[in-house]
Amino acid sequence: MSKKSLLLLLILSMVAVACATDTAEEEVVVEDEHDHEDHSTLEEVLERGFVKCGVSGSATAFSETGADGSITGFDADYCYAVAAALFGDYSKVEFKSLTSAERFTSLAAGDIDVLIRNTTWTQSRDTELGNDFGPTTYFDGQQLMGRNSDGISSSSTLADIDGLSVCTNAGTTTEKNITEGAGLVGATITLVTVEKFSEAMDKFIAGECDIVTTDGSALVGRRAVNDALNDWSIFPQSPISKEPLGPVYRSNDSAWGDVINWVVYATIIADEYGVTSANVDSVDTDAFPELGRLFGANDGELQTVMGLDAKAFYNVIKQVGNYDEIYSRNLNPVGLFREGGANDRWTNGGLIYAPPAR
Amino acid sequence: MISNNKFFIENPYGRWVRDNLFSSSSSAFLTFFAGFMVIYSYRGIVGFILNPERMWTSVTYNMKLYMILAYPDEAMIRVWLSVGLALILGGLSIGFYNSGKSISLGGIFQKLFTISAVIALLIALAPTNTNVIQNDGSIEAVEIIPQDVRMLILGPSLVLTLAFFFLRNIKIKNLFNTAKVNLTYFGLIIGSLYFIKIPTISLDSSGERIIPDPFLPIASTTYIPWTILYVGMLLFFFIGSLLKNKDVKIMSRLIPIAWFLCPLFIFSWIFKKPLVELNTVFSADIPSILVFGIIGFLIIRFSDNESIGVYRTPINIGFFILSVVVFLLPLVFIFKATMVLLLLLLVVSPAIATTKEGKRQLFIVWVVSLFVLTFLIRGASSDTMLVTPTGSIFGGFSLTWLLAIFGTYASFPLGLALALGRTSTLPVIRIICTGIIEIVRSVPYITWLFFASVMLTVFLPAGVEFNLIIRVLILTAFFSGAYFAEYIRGGLQSIPKGQYEAANAIGMNPFQRIFLVIVPQALRTIIPTLVGSVITSFKDSSLVAIIGLFDILRIGTSVIPAQSQPVVFIGRNLEQLVFLSFFFWVFTFVFSRRSMKFEKRLGLGER
Repeated sequence: MSKKSLLLLLILSMVAVACATDTAEEEVVVEDEHDHEDHSTLEEVLERGFVKCGVSGSATAFSETGADGSITGFDADYCYAVAAALFGDYSKVEFKSLTSAERFTSLAAGDIDVLIRNTTWTQSRDTELGNDFGPTTYFDGQQLMGRNSDGISSSSTLADIDGLSVCTNAGTTTEKNITEGAGLVGATITLVTVEKFSEAMDKFIAGECDIVTTDGSALVGRRAVNDALNDWSIFPQSPISKEPLGPVYRSNDSAWGDVINWVVYATIIADEYGVTSANVDSVDTDAFPELGRLFGANDGELQTVMGLDAKAFYNVIKQVGNYDEIYSRNLNPVGLFREGGANDRWTNGGLIYAPPAR
Repeated sequence: MISNNKFFIENPYGRWVRDNLFSSSSSAFLTFFAGFMVIYSYRGIVGFILNPERMWTSVTYNMKLYMILAYPDEAMIRVWLSVGLALILGGLSIGFYNSGKSISLGGIFQKLFTISAVIALLIALAPTNTNVIQNDGSIEAVEIIPQDVRMLILGPSLVLTLAFFFLRNIKIKNLFNTAKVNLTYFGLIIGSLYFIKIPTISLDSSGERIIPDPFLPIASTTYIPWTILYVGMLLFFFIGSLLKNKDVKIMSRLIPIAWFLCPLFIFSWIFKKPLVELNTVFSADIPSILVFGIIGFLIIRFSDNESIGVYRTPINIGFFILSVVVFLLPLVFIFKATMVLLLLLLVVSPAIATTKEGKRQLFIVWVVSLFVLTFLIRGASSDTMLVTPTGSIFGGFSLTWLLAIFGTYASFPLGLALALGRTSTLPVIRIICTGIIEIVRSVPYITWLFFASVMLTVFLPAGVEFNLIIRVLILTAFFSGAYFAEYIRGGLQSIPKGQYEAANAIGMNPFQRIFLVIVPQALRTIIPTLVGSVITSFKDSSLVAIIGLFDILRIGTSVIPAQSQPVVFIGRNLEQLVFLSFFFWVFTFVFSRRSMKFEKRLGLGER
């Protein structure tokens, strides 16, 4: 073989390699940048066949990872509810467990469709970060917990913690709230900051601090678990901060936002009428026309306009349950009850309220 | 005075005590001080572990979560196959590399004597009470080891200690092969799975917890696979011994290659269950093998051709430019990866393909590696068929392994390249390599992890996105690669100049000089440092918990202390930390022990 033909052969084979383009199975995912602008997330999710839901994966009773790796909890149930409404099958969910630092970046980057990760609705998060917040599913608030033997009772106020040491997790709004609150009433406190709330709790149990503070739901849970109902008191009665928790989605996507909002409202409306997953099949839609419209008895026009199946909300109630069921299933075991609190029905003096379905 | 006592001069034990513990007044003080510290912390640890406040079921009940996170139950066979492949290879290599060292029965009893004496001492020293903090803040002492329980364990262990003490002087000529003895120990551990009971939790069919919690035997889904794997390991041990006796030379090359490929094969095919479509195999893989096979054949065929000598530099540069172009084009990943292999062949070929036989062998190696590479990349780059609720099949200990193994795999060649580059005489290459090493080494690993998780997406072109695990892998490769590079450079500098000159004198080309003379000697001297570095990267892999990957540490510190259903484990984080410390200690201890034996066999420090 001559030198020239050899070189020619080499070059030809190089060209053959260079021509073999097959971008489809690239490991690098090349996404269309304009995807989010042109299509609603709703179309995208329906086309994909499952919903990507951002949760915590390590938040007691809200989204916890079980021993078999499955994800359960109050927030996780709302992910299941969204899937039930979209696909008629609650299991069409892919969870993504996110840290609090990465949750908004992940949502903005389109890694997840909806973020249901006990996220507090605040002005800056709503306006600056390009998110929209859905209806609040759980009204939480920061409280403090101390020992009865230290003279703390459930009627104590922030002024009573003067001179005590307070444990909290660092760098969070929790830390800011307690410093500001104590400063306002003129109480001098020793702040002990740790990275996680569980560490703060360990220090509290070991007696390294007198008071521990975080969201009320977590305090109630730990008090119930440690069987300390008669030894530890949670105060003040009205929390020192407002922490409304609910679903979050990207701004400017009203079709998708409506779906999330109305999944939540449907569970609340069903709760108002006492419709549960057990009795949803025997609902008298003639006697309660609102339920008829919600569950798609008369063509389900309200749902089909939204781009959903007429039976979408029937599936939600049937497969996941109403608000009360979701609440009791996940939060009662850790000692959180609705009665008399902010999460009770609006007819009982609570804040859980939904606009009418008509 | 202690030194004048007859016992401390004539008795060998007494002499040891005098020479090692009380040789001077300051060493006597140190002995007492250290002894007090050790006993005090030991009693503290035992009190902590046996404290009734601890709930060790939170560890045992979540063992599967720790190991494989949400890996689907119906695919568990794949996990066992992965472990089995490693065990079988282990059995084969133990059999094949059996050094034939033996231990006498007396030696075995000597070891058993030490173990039982230590156990007896530990039980004698264990505390009786521990403090429990009540909810109202008061402290109450609770008995953790009742006197009768202590006697029940102490009695037999003292009897055994005495028995082994006398048995260790037994003079029986029978010698036992150490490899077989170690396999028997392993077998005893597996056998004990049938008998021991651990504290765990059982749930009835409706998910309600069955109370009271008894100590439950280990589930058959655990001990049956282990038994099968152990039998397989034994089988391959005997196959290995047979091959050693038959003196099958090729095995000494195949076994290291198999060890190298085993983790790659496990993670790309066995553990992953890739979704392979036939049309991509026909449209990408087979053409790739054909094209690169032909190019490789041509390179090997004409690499020593006299007439091509003039064109060698342009051809090398051409191939280099082509590979850069191939990397930038949106091509199938297989082409890009094979291109790297081709560049390697281009460098290696003039040194090896000098005879007809050499050419034939190199071509066989080339074709086989083409197939292996294509096969592995097809598995690794395909989607998985396994469905998990969290969307990722890697989590827990499998993620730790993935990061540790691939971190080492990728960082070693990178480190070697950086080290050679830094010692190179070409200024551009030297400055670039020094820059990379110094920048990477002077920034903490955690900062780099945040860089991978948050910043890397900003640097990549718009729309290009890597999986977070891959981003972390790339970064780990660079980070430990920079450290490896400095270790290897240290090794390179320890090679006397005469070695370079001798290699030049016998007419070796630069490639042969580096890879046949210098690098093997350099690597040999730095094995202890490299092993230390691998252990560090194994432990460091748990730092990825900070950027939100579910490795074993994150599961222990965040996930399990949050569980409220079906069993309440809220706030159980101390138990997890104790378990994780023990778990990491076992692995790193075994690893460093093995490397010490390896060093001995290589005769390090003895030349």
